[in-house]
Amino acid sequence: MIASIIGLAAVLGLVFLRMPIAIAMGLVGFIGFMEIRGFRAAISMVGRLIIDTAQDYGLSVVPMFILMGLFVNKGGLSRELYQVSNAFLGHFRGGLAMATIVACAGFSAICGSSLATAATMSKVAMPQMRSFNYSDKLSTASIAAGGTLGILIPPSVILVIYGLLTETSIGKLFIAGIIPGFLGVLLYLAAVRWTVARDPEAGPAGPRANWRERLSALKSVWAVLLLFFLVIGGLYGVLDVWPINLTFSPTEAAGMGAAGAFLIALSRGKLSFGAVTEVLTEAAKTTAALFTVLIGAWVFSNFVNLAGLPEALINFVSAYDLSPMMVMVMILLIYIVLGCVFESLSMLLLTVPIFFPLVISLGFDPVWFGIIVVVVTEISLITPPVGLNVYVLKGVIGNVSTKTIFQGVTPFWVVDIIRLILLVAIPSLVLYLPNTMGPLGH
Amino acid sequence: MGEDDRIQQSNRTIWTVIADAPMWVAAAVLFFLMAMTFLDVLSRSILNNPIESATELTRLFMAIMVFSALPMVTWKSEHIVVDLMDPLFSRRMAWIRDILIDLICGAVILWPAKRVFDLAERARDYGDKTEYLGLPQFYIGWFIAAFAFVTAFVFLARGLTRIFAPHRLPGKGDTE
Repeated sequence: MIASIIGLAAVLGLVFLRMPIAIAMGLVGFIGFMEIRGFRAAISMVGRLIIDTAQDYGLSVVPMFILMGLFVNKGGLSRELYQVSNAFLGHFRGGLAMATIVACAGFSAICGSSLATAATMSKVAMPQMRSFNYSDKLSTASIAAGGTLGILIPPSVILVIYGLLTETSIGKLFIAGIIPGFLGVLLYLAAVRWTVARDPEAGPAGPRANWRERLSALKSVWAVLLLFFLVIGGLYGVLDVWPINLTFSPTEAAGMGAAGAFLIALSRGKLSFGAVTEVLTEAAKTTAALFTVLIGAWVFSNFVNLAGLPEALINFVSAYDLSPMMVMVMILLIYIVLGCVFESLSMLLLTVPIFFPLVISLGFDPVWFGIIVVVVTEISLITPPVGLNVYVLKGVIGNVSTKTIFQGVTPFWVVDIIRLILLVAIPSLVLYLPNTMGPLGH
Repeated sequence: MGEDDRIQQSNRTIWTVIADAPMWVAAAVLFFLMAMTFLDVLSRSILNNPIESATELTRLFMAIMVFSALPMVTWKSEHIVVDLMDPLFSRRMAWIRDILIDLICGAVILWPAKRVFDLAERARDYGDKTEYLGLPQFYIGWFIAAFAFVTAFVFLARGLTRIFAPHRLPGKGDTE
């Protein structure tokens, strides 16, 4: 117990000194393991982990989904998605902000990263909202909040990392993210309505598009929408009907998504040789960085397990006779506090090895916990004072103060908390879909 | 003088090509992996004839891709770091901090790299082969060990570059 706490403190110290988080966790985990089992056992463990993880079949999901997002982005989807949602929602008060939320959700259905979603959409949606005299508060907040949907709506890189770390089915995690993701969209739309109800000047209504305009806007995105349904449908098992009989494992779904996105972008003439190599290099580099982080987290988690931290926590909980729900609430509070300081991936890596065994021993579902962790992480992305999405947005847009963005984000933050409470109180919102899916996801 | 300049120029180009080569390998392997997965699914569901060695090739390609990319990720400071405390460091302290961290990282990667090499040698002694294609296991072990060593050296080189020629470091993740 003491050893683990010293270890955790050491990791924190090193990452604050800007040591790559992978090496900090790996180094501390290695030294701790060595203290208990000796040098030979520790170095063997690390060597084997490197060889095995490098050849991990499950890890191949990561570069494929990253590729899919990058190719679709090259194809110019973000702008088109915004135009479609705008054609349907623009005539409401606050409609452009609603369109931003929906376009963010659509974009995150292809792209697995919240920061990328926020950065991309801010370039597309911000000028539009400004030209319609939307307040900076509402327009920036809708982008920052909409961007957080990126790590929940499948495919999601964070969920893949959680799945690999905890050996939870990645397919189930993806499917489980769907309902909470939609719930997030609906609640964010409600937050926009609430904002414009209080301050009608914040988001004036735009002109109404007629059905011909709407259909022609749809025409530009149908291929990508189809791709999304193919990937997620194949994963869920709904396409397993004669005559196609398509069911995908997560890796296959990701491969189909990447290849499909490549073909779509190619058919639109948006891909030069340079663009393709740029996308491939980017995906390879991100995968390599995530790979080192996984190894580091595993080494560290082997050490805390060996040092008995999970058992100590379990004993602590049973000694004080805490109910599982009370423990869960405490864990979530810790996450929200940590989220004010850490970026989502770091937070996941540092906390999951410690909390996961406890949570499972209390009888919670690993898929459910994964989704809850991601939702909490999303909340942290827009929590003052360090919500990362807010800073990304400020970086892209420039002449808006972070204070303005955080003020605008408040209603979105509140509905996020409401969603968290709903998902904790009604676990079947998360678990219904994964429990009914086809055979390959298991 | 002109002659010397030209030689220096072409030397630099050669080094750039060598430094970039692993990244090209990583990109090519990734593209191939994508195409293979796509064809495997199509041929399995339409022709009922999956590519049998696809799983094994996927594993192999992943290892090649990840480790070819690592040196470049390291050189360009694209590892995942927490930059929360950055405002607390003065320029000079940040400079010393980054040098120390780079040198430490380089040093600590040497041991696992050596261990992976030893494991590969052991696989060679045992004659371990992969299941479908019958490739000797130690090749991939060697590859991983070699690129782990390269990554360690890149960390060390970056630490030294920070000391002696800070202007030659690539942009992203710099303290400047």
